[in-house]
Amino acid sequence: MLRVPSRIGKRTHAPAYHLILEGILILWIIRLLFSKTYKLQERSDLTVKEKEELIEEWQPEPLVPPVPKDHPALNYNIVSGPPSHKIVVNGKECINFASFNFLGLLDNPRVKAAALASLKKYGVGTCGPRGFYGTFDVHLDLEDRLAKFMKTEEAIIYSYGFATIASAIPAYSKRGDIVFVDRAACFAIQKGLQASRSDIKLFKHNDMADLERLLKEQEIEDQKNPRKARVTRRFIVVEGLYMNTGTICPLPELVKLKYKYKARIFLEESLSFGVLGEHGRGVTEHYGINIDDIDLISANMENALASIGGFCCGRSFVIDHQRLSGQGYCFSASLPPLLAAAAIEALNIMEENPGIFAVLKEKCRQIHKALQGISGLKVVGESFSPAFHLQLEESTGSREQDVRLLQEIVDQCMNKNIALTQARYLEKEEKCLPPPSIRVVVTVEQTEEELVRAASTIKEVAQVVLL
Amino acid sequence: MCCHGLPVGGSPSSPGCFVPLIQKTGGLLLTAERGGRMNVGTAHSEVNPNTRVMNSRGIWLSYVLAIGLLHVVLLSIPFGMYIFLHTVKGTPFETPDQGKARLLTHWEQMDYGVQFTASRKFLTITPIVLYFLTSFYTKYDQIHFILNTVSLMSVLIPKLPQLHGVRIFGINKY
Repeated sequence: MLRVPSRIGKRTHAPAYHLILEGILILWIIRLLFSKTYKLQERSDLTVKEKEELIEEWQPEPLVPPVPKDHPALNYNIVSGPPSHKIVVNGKECINFASFNFLGLLDNPRVKAAALASLKKYGVGTCGPRGFYGTFDVHLDLEDRLAKFMKTEEAIIYSYGFATIASAIPAYSKRGDIVFVDRAACFAIQKGLQASRSDIKLFKHNDMADLERLLKEQEIEDQKNPRKARVTRRFIVVEGLYMNTGTICPLPELVKLKYKYKARIFLEESLSFGVLGEHGRGVTEHYGINIDDIDLISANMENALASIGGFCCGRSFVIDHQRLSGQGYCFSASLPPLLAAAAIEALNIMEENPGIFAVLKEKCRQIHKALQGISGLKVVGESFSPAFHLQLEESTGSREQDVRLLQEIVDQCMNKNIALTQARYLEKEEKCLPPPSIRVVVTVEQTEEELVRAASTIKEVAQVVLL
Repeated sequence: MCCHGLPVGGSPSSPGCFVPLIQKTGGLLLTAERGGRMNVGTAHSEVNPNTRVMNSRGIWLSYVLAIGLLHVVLLSIPFGMYIFLHTVKGTPFETPDQGKARLLTHWEQMDYGVQFTASRKFLTITPIVLYFLTSFYTKYDQIHFILNTVSLMSVLIPKLPQLHGVRIFGINKY
């Protein structure tokens, strides 16, 4: 390229600096062609000897770790028959204070008839996710009915209750987004948060001052970096009635904080759906809050509705997103139609008898009062919460010992025909492990005398075991 | 014609002339994965398809053709490529990796951040070749030289591995 053959008869020289630059570029091209591909982070600076040493030192952990013989997972009680009001445990008939059958719909003949009719019509399973011929008219019916019942625009059904909130959170919250969540959030919410890869900020249980402090800190950060704040989404995740503590979330304050600090609220209503509120619509009806203030309500149908699966409801714009982004919706088989039909019938019963919610509330209050004043045990939970906990007033110091004491109480109550259970957790996986407790569940089907008998039994047993 | 029957596993088929040369010189050009064809309209297990776009069948050829067509308006090419490769961030579709590539430009997303892959080398060398051609056509005129060199540098420098993820003065960071 030194002499450019001219077309007009003039000789054009390439200037020297240009030639140097072209030379550099050609050298650059050659270097490029020779360079190896490499990943940016994988620059391991270990020598071969160091690698060998590390391999020598490594001791594999046993595939099956040693487990004590009295581990609860190895000694379980066997239930024969339905876990309805009277439950047959290990051959003994007890009154059920352990299953979340709040409205007694588990054994309801109408619900069973609807399920049977659906079984005869559709068969048992759906054999496919919603996108591949797994959508039946009962699914669309149930979604419609739930949306109408909760007075939202749309609802979406999941086939497994745990997967509902665990799929809903990562569908909206991604890397770089911030989620403010209560410390007492249940395990399903924790797994959803883990899957979302977002920044998690825990606030003390039901402590709105702590939440406001965190929100204020975030606001200061946002003002320092407004460009980052513009692409960061903020969420607050709370439960209506907390499974781990039986307490209710202060929703009016949360809505105020939501509008003040521009965050979105995800409300998990598994224990409060079909329990709180005049018509069983949950904690929003209980407080009289407009349902449009809550961005997403998620609940599982395995408690009050006595079916399987879960649902999310809210505005169409929000719920529609989960039809493609909800992992549990797109990649799991859909809910068996007989369970969807059972849920529809359960909704019918709930709509026809709105009086059962007041009855349930009254029974909760009754047993709550009756269980006060047991020496050694304290009642944890709201007076209107149908699932509350009995914790040891003074812990012995070791969790295993506490668990053993409570198990003793449970076993002795079982001998006296009261079926109770301890609240179980995956101890190594929980973020904030709650203290060991006995979880007592009140249902509509328990009579007053049964409640009185249960309270006195627990009192006697606790006195024997703990003193 | 110039494509020998050299068995090169997983190479894109269009730059067939390019690859045997690389093979002969012994440079480790390809990654272990198949930089294969993008099956249009079928399901694939690629988490972020943006990383494989530049490896798909026929894209190198389309790129050269597009440049040839736009060759008339010489200045628009480096400007356009700069916008698409180094300015626009994220993906136009939802990815199942929870937004890992939200803050990365297309260049940084290519091949999941592996440096000096076939497509990256191709996209680096093409502006240089274009630069040679333009210098030749403008008869080494001084003003054109300055403009062309500046645009070449602006396209070459962001492609250096040292500048992976670097945002100068915080421009284009979020």
